Amino acid sequence: MIEFMFALAIGILFGIGVFQLLRRDLIKAAIGFAILFSAINLFFVAAGAFEGESPPYLSNVQAGRPTSDPLVQALILTAIVVSFGSFSLVLGIVNIISKRYDTVDSNDVTQLKH
Amino acid sequence: MTDNALLLGALATPLIGAILALLSARSNQTQRAIGVATGGIAWMFAAGLLAQVHEYGVQTYALGGWQPPYGIVLVADALGALFAFMVTTIMVAGLLYTYHCHDKCMTYPAFVPLFLLMEVGLVGAMLTGDLFTLFISMELMVLASVSLTAISDDQFGLEAALKYILISSMGTLFLLLGIAAMYATLGTLNMAEIAQTLLTGERPFLAPAAALMLLCAFLLKSAVFPFHFWQPDFHTTAPTPISAMLSSIVVKVGVYGIFRLVTLLFIEEAFLLERLLGVLGVIGIVFGSLGALRTYNAKRMLAYSTFAQIGFILVGIGWGNTLALVGAIVYAFNHAFIKSALLMLMGVVASYTKIKTADFAHVRGLGTKLPPLLGWLVLLGGLSLAGVPPLNGFISKLALIQGGVDNGDWANLIIVVAAGILTLMYMIRAWQQIFQQAPLPSTTETKPVGDSMVAPFLLISICLLLGTIFAEPLVQLISETVRQMMNPQIYIAGVGLGNGG
Repeated sequence: MIEFMFALAIGILFGIGVFQLLRRDLIKAAIGFAILFSAINLFFVAAGAFEGESPPYLSNVQAGRPTSDPLVQALILTAIVVSFGSFSLVLGIVNIISKRYDTVDSNDVTQLKH
Repeated sequence: MTDNALLLGALATPLIGAILALLSARSNQTQRAIGVATGGIAWMFAAGLLAQVHEYGVQTYALGGWQPPYGIVLVADALGALFAFMVTTIMVAGLLYTYHCHDKCMTYPAFVPLFLLMEVGLVGAMLTGDLFTLFISMELMVLASVSLTAISDDQFGLEAALKYILISSMGTLFLLLGIAAMYATLGTLNMAEIAQTLLTGERPFLAPAAALMLLCAFLLKSAVFPFHFWQPDFHTTAPTPISAMLSSIVVKVGVYGIFRLVTLLFIEEAFLLERLLGVLGVIGIVFGSLGALRTYNAKRMLAYSTFAQIGFILVGIGWGNTLALVGAIVYAFNHAFIKSALLMLMGVVASYTKIKTADFAHVRGLGTKLPPLLGWLVLLGGLSLAGVPPLNGFISKLALIQGGVDNGDWANLIIVVAAGILTLMYMIRAWQQIFQQAPLPSTTETKPVGDSMVAPFLLISICLLLGTIFAEPLVQLISETVRQMMNPQIYIAGVGLGNGG
């Protein structure tokens, strides 16, 4: 059951993320980007979380209980840091654009035409 | 398996340099000197690595002493070492250009550190043996290049940076999704172990989907047809040394990834991927060349030309036989030198205008007032790009066309040859506009001093040498590289897995 709920949550987050990313409002697009990243992080966790119920402590491993995969959790910690970095860079760029163009509507941020 | 410290050196030197440059933020001149010195040291490491790889085979470095497949391992096989050598060489030229550049953005304290971090990302992507580290390196490279373009002197840099970071983050997300799918089905992220598992013929059901997601991410990074629209804006508005790096080596990260996909990871699916790459490459060649013909800005023209040249490389990969792969790698190698030199030369021309731009309306006839050497260098670069002997562009075209003849794909071969004429047309047109026509009234006012042309001069000299004296060693080196690429067991055994491990 929990696997199904997990898959459903990832799917819904993916949907919301893609929808927000395609919005005209640049701030909403940036937030959609963050949501999309969370969806993929959850997918990564799901790749190793259900191999066992107990947490991956050494005592559990030695007792022979099936534990969840600790590597994915280490990996998504890095991925969260990366996503945080790029999210803040996007927000910083949107901030300067909102000052320079007086709008965050992507239809009006179109000076770059040749 | 022994650790080779050269690998760590090539990766860590730019990182240490970036930290040192950040610490000496008070003096801009010191920062630039640190940049050039760091680039030079990293180049020496990469050159030593290339020599060792060809002498002793695949070199590895297990980070933190954790042996593969459990730890993160840096791997330099023939392909990785060659690309890392190419990247560090072009980077030295870029940092040299930065040393004598008058752009305002070069005086920001973050410029040189970000430039060096971009090098860390590039070298890391080419020397890692681990998919997740590849993702981290590519993200580092993207963040650094976006920041560098956002602070560009060109007022539109910000808009291009936003466009690029949104679309490129989307690509990185798909890369991460593909990596997660690989991990979910294969339980490993080590490229050698993945290759070994997939070579046994086992096909977990997410593997083809993962292959396509990785392919999309790499195509996006190298701006191939359906994902190309951000590229001309981004490469035009970046500061000159940055756009020279973006258009020559940053797009090659995607090409490198595609090489890895079709020759190491997904060999059974490679045939399908190659068919797709061939079609996308031809579309890129036609649209890129025509796009370059109709632009009115020299830098933008070169950005479109990159779109076309990546198409040539993809057509080479698409033909897929040994000769064509040799052609594709020679093309990728030579294109990096020519394109970075040409973009730097256009940057030098633009640096003499009142408002820094390479728009033909502003630079027409400007060349008649500049040193004549500049005009000759642009002409040489243009002829080299079009593939006129005795420059190195001819060697790459020849190697590629041999691959096509061997493959017997005459339809695409005709397009490849015809596109060479288009290349000649737009390069000669740009040269005539800038160096031959009478100056416009608007170009009578020029700045007294522009950027130095030491770096592009060196690059064009290398182009000449590569096309004449070093043509045969280069092609032999790359033939050897392709011979090793065609046998993935060499890579797998080099990492310490497989039969030998």
